[in-house]
Amino acid sequence: MNHPLLEIRNLSFTYEGASSPVFERLDLAVGSGEFILIKGTSGTGKSTLLRLVCRLNKPQCGTILFRGRDITLIPPAELRSSISYVAQVPQLVDAPVEENLLLPFAFRVNRKKALPRHEDLRAMLDEFYLDGVTLGQSALKLSAGQKQRLAIMRSILQEPEMMLLDEPTSALDAESAAMVFSITERLNTSRKMTIMTVTHSDYRPETIKGVMYRLENRSLKLMPE
Amino acid sequence: MNQIIDISTGKLLLAFLFIIAAQASSLFYHLGLHRDITIGALRTFAQLFLMGYVLTYILGSDNFLLTVSIFAVMVISAMSIIKGRVKEKQIAYILPTFLTMLVTYFATAVFVSGMIVGTTPWWEPRYFIPTGGMVIGNSMSAIAIALERLFGELRRQREVVEMKLALGADYREASSDVFRNAVTAGMIPSINAMMGVGLVFIPGMMSGQILSGTDPLIAIRYQIVVMFMLVGSTAVTSLIVMLIIRRRCFGVGEELLLSPR
Repeated sequence: MNHPLLEIRNLSFTYEGASSPVFERLDLAVGSGEFILIKGTSGTGKSTLLRLVCRLNKPQCGTILFRGRDITLIPPAELRSSISYVAQVPQLVDAPVEENLLLPFAFRVNRKKALPRHEDLRAMLDEFYLDGVTLGQSALKLSAGQKQRLAIMRSILQEPEMMLLDEPTSALDAESAAMVFSITERLNTSRKMTIMTVTHSDYRPETIKGVMYRLENRSLKLMPE
Repeated sequence: MNQIIDISTGKLLLAFLFIIAAQASSLFYHLGLHRDITIGALRTFAQLFLMGYVLTYILGSDNFLLTVSIFAVMVISAMSIIKGRVKEKQIAYILPTFLTMLVTYFATAVFVSGMIVGTTPWWEPRYFIPTGGMVIGNSMSAIAIALERLFGELRRQREVVEMKLALGADYREASSDVFRNAVTAGMIPSINAMMGVGLVFIPGMMSGQILSGTDPLIAIRYQIVVMFMLVGSTAVTSLIVMLIIRRRCFGVGEELLLSPR
């Protein structure tokens, strides 16, 4: 039987102390290699949905399956190394760019993976529109757009099967936002990476065919192409 | 020469001049400490007198159950002081902390009085109660500092911890910096005390023994045992407590449970 890469069934979530759920009985199936775009205004639960997929939050009810397997049965570190989540505000450590990029390889789950070579990192920086950035410079001194691209690049280095991007352009100017979207579309086409991104902007994929949903009134609705 | 000089009630009251001096300083410089100084002085007076009578009774009774009960009351009191200081509502830390303290302090007190000092029986109250008291008092502060630091830092660094989790770190890896800082913060006072002992200050226990006529060369042996015991028990207890409580800060899916305040 051919399972979707990610399947969400009957998912509901209510924040502690809140009187009503952010969303309820939500269903979604994501095929391998798909580009999913979820739109919605602030507070509709877009970020929460992504956090539930990588188990940074725990749902009150519902099931999430990854490759047909309940995610609660997958060791969390293993799951998060396969489904990489990039937060809305990119978090970098107070260290050079290279150290930030190699941070995931310090964790047990990634230790067996081959460490990217210096030259590969350099080439990748160029690919991520970070050609003016050196591997030795302080990551915290980068601009917001550069930090966001670096955070995406850091996630890619683990070679996850799927990426979850939480409002990746919310704090960026139009030019930086266009770069980030261009990168995500390229990751989907050239690396065949499954991408699920949430945004409240008017962005529509330009170079690829994405599947768009709108999260409103506590449920997910497919948007016309 | 070795006969200890008793302090009469009149002379004891003379010591209140020090409290009056502290009160005067507070009033003169508007430090606002006069209420705390008064309460602290009265509590010192009352609590120590109470303890004196209780100890006199216990030392005379040679009762195992009574000795162990007093020890348990001391640990409960220490836990209630920690609870008053660590204002954490989300994570249930009290029971595991209390049980760890009870077991490790008990083991330390048994080891020191029964094995190092070699009292018979091992619970000989004259040794067991003061040993337990020193261990509890010292370690209690370390645990309170470490817990406060752990909860506070995990909340402040929530985004960084979650970034590491999202990159495949397990909960230990994601919180290793916070954990290390918290345990270290709790341990520093005990380590500093080892550095300064005999040079900067003469510890209370050693002073007490010397004042009561004990040969200083015997007193230092006791003091060395006490210093090592305090550092060791503080390190082990706070480490066990922190390992248990840190795990409780993360859910089954290794998600950080502490929400921002």
